[in-house]
Amino acid sequence: MENLIVEATRSSPAIRFDAEQRCLRLSGESYPENAAAFYAPVFAWLKAFLVTLAPGAAVRVELDIQYLNSSSTKVMLNLLDLLEQAAQDGTPIAVEWYYDPDNEAMLECGQDFSEELTALDFHLMERS
Amino acid sequence: MHDFDLVQLRDELSERGILMIFSGPFSHSIIEELGEAVRNYLQSAQVNRPAMMDVFAVYIEQAQNVRNYMRRWEMSADPRGARIMQSGIVVIARDQGHYVISSGNLIAQADVSALVARLEEIRALDKPGLKALHKERLRVPLSDGGNAGLGLIEMARKASQPLQYALTTVDEYVFFTLRIVI
Repeated sequence: MENLIVEATRSSPAIRFDAEQRCLRLSGESYPENAAAFYAPVFAWLKAFLVTLAPGAAVRVELDIQYLNSSSTKVMLNLLDLLEQAAQDGTPIAVEWYYDPDNEAMLECGQDFSEELTALDFHLMERS
Repeated sequence: MHDFDLVQLRDELSERGILMIFSGPFSHSIIEELGEAVRNYLQSAQVNRPAMMDVFAVYIEQAQNVRNYMRRWEMSADPRGARIMQSGIVVIARDQGHYVISSGNLIAQADVSALVARLEEIRALDKPGLKALHKERLRVPLSDGGNAGLGLIEMARKASQPLQYALTTVDEYVFFTLRIVI
C-alpha cells in the first residue's frame, strides 16, 4: 500500500502515514476552508489501511497539533473513531497526543478526546 | 463627494482601541493572512501564548462563521446574496484590559430565530455546562456547510464574559453582531 504524504500549509497539517511501518503522523495546525473535504482522502487511506493489517499488528499514531478549529476538531474525532473501532476489533493502537506546556487548549482537547476513546491506548505527551 | 479623511478614521480606530479591522468580502486566504498578522502583533506585544492562541482561535471561528454564512449565498441565485456577501466585518480591539473580537454580517430575517435560540442556549450555561454541551455536540455530524455547531461553544469557553450579540434591522435584512471578550 502507498504511503500518504501531504505537505503542511498555513491552515492544514503535514501528514505522514507510513503503511509499512504502521506509523501515522499528523502535525501542524488545522483550520482549512473545508475540513470535511481536506480530510476526505485521509479517511479513505485510513479505511483502506486498517483492512490490510495482519491480526495483532500494532499501529502507532502521533498527533502533534498546535491548533484545531471547531470543524477540524469534529473531523479529527471522527478519524480517531475509525481507529477506536479497529482497536475494539483487536488491533493494538497507541495514540500519542503531543502538546506544548503553554498550549492549554490542545491539552484540553486531548483530554476531551481521550475520554471519548476508551479502546485506544491514548497518551497525553507534554513536550519539554 | 465624501470628505475622505484618513487621519480622522485612524484617530477613531485608535480611540476605540481597534488593533485590526477587515470589512468586505472574505476569502480563506484573507482569513489566514490576518490571522498571521494578529499572532505576530500579539507576540510582539509580549502577550503570553495561551492568551494569544485564545484570541487567534476566536478570531478564526468568527471569521470562518462569517465566511461560511456568505458561502451559502455564493451558490444561490437569490438576489439578496450579493449584498450579504459584501457585508462581513471582523474587528479585534483592546478594551479595559481585555482583547475583544467582534464580527458582523447581514443575515436573512428567516435565519434570525434559529441563531438567537443557539446563542441564548449558550449564554445560559456556565463553564461546566459549556463543557458538557461541547461533549454532546462533538458527536453531531458536520453539516454540508461545514458547520460543526461547536464554534460558538468553543468561543464561549474561551471568553471571560457571556457572549454578547446584537441584531439591527437593515432594509429586508438583519445585521448580526457577535462580541466575544477574552
